[in-house]
Amino acid sequence: MQPPKQYTAKLEEKIEFNSKYTQYDFELLEPNVMEFLAGQYVSVKVSEAGERRSYSICSSPAVQHGFQLLVDLEPQGVGAKFLQNLTFGDSINFLGPLGRFVLQDDFSLLPGKLPETVLPEEAIVLIATGSGIAPFRSMALELLQERKDTRPIILHWGMRHAEQLFWEYEFAELMEAFPNFKFHPVVSQPIAGWSLCSGRVTDCLQVHAQPKNAGYYLCGNETMVQEVSQVLTTQGVQLENIHHEKFY
Amino acid sequence: MSDLNQTAVTPVASTPTPQSKQIGKYRVEVIREKCISAASCVAIAPLVFDLDEEGIARVISQDGNDDETKLLAAQSCPTAAIIVTDTETGKQVWPL
Repeated sequence: MQPPKQYTAKLEEKIEFNSKYTQYDFELLEPNVMEFLAGQYVSVKVSEAGERRSYSICSSPAVQHGFQLLVDLEPQGVGAKFLQNLTFGDSINFLGPLGRFVLQDDFSLLPGKLPETVLPEEAIVLIATGSGIAPFRSMALELLQERKDTRPIILHWGMRHAEQLFWEYEFAELMEAFPNFKFHPVVSQPIAGWSLCSGRVTDCLQVHAQPKNAGYYLCGNETMVQEVSQVLTTQGVQLENIHHEKFY
Repeated sequence: MSDLNQTAVTPVASTPTPQSKQIGKYRVEVIREKCISAASCVAIAPLVFDLDEEGIARVISQDGNDDETKLLAAQSCPTAAIIVTDTETGKQVWPL
């Protein structure tokens, strides 16, 4: 892996899924190729003063001439406002790729010290709430489409409302194409007729049997990470098998 | 930012600790409690930052990377756990 560096990119497409979540597609300008690992993030300069905000890349690492970000615009911070004000063709400056929240298989590709033991994982369980889905889309695409990974790969995604969900058809298509992939959306405030998991993502985890010797990847707010970790360890999962992104 | 174009000057004497060391123009300091082990600083300025046994960033060298690189490393931190101070002016350069 090349060390992170500064890039410029231009906004190519913006997909507003709903009032809360928007996907931004960028095409790299200079340099025009970026090699990254699924799960990594970029640090975008969001003000002239030099303020930066970090966003996980949600696109496949196989595409190296551009990248996609998923942004929760609801907090309306300096980063959200900067991105909202971008128009097609506008350029951004960013640092990347950054972060160590990557698949254990990829850990040896990261710069710096490695953990003493990288445990083999016989299955991959991805657990997200809200915009925490972003790095997992990248991981799922990489594992399934690029590596043809045949291990069980299970994605749990918690949202408040069903209408906030997006990419669900893409995940459904992945399930059809790859029988080892399972997608479990869970909605905490379902409307009548919602037939899938209801409640919190921890409820969903307790409904579905967990595969043995799996690696668990968590991405959500701090409370979510704590609660999911607690549920998993109660179910016998070792802490060494639980990995989480910490900046959400 | 004009700060990015400024060059290092004579190192200033300091009393180094594992978390805080004084450097030429920019002094970098890791706020240990804020570090989440993202290691972006290590990736950008590997001769200035390292991770300790607990995976927390620390300053290991004064002059391994130039001021611009050190500032970038600090700016890349998702939790703003690295403070950059201009030792000439005494002002904090980062976080803003």
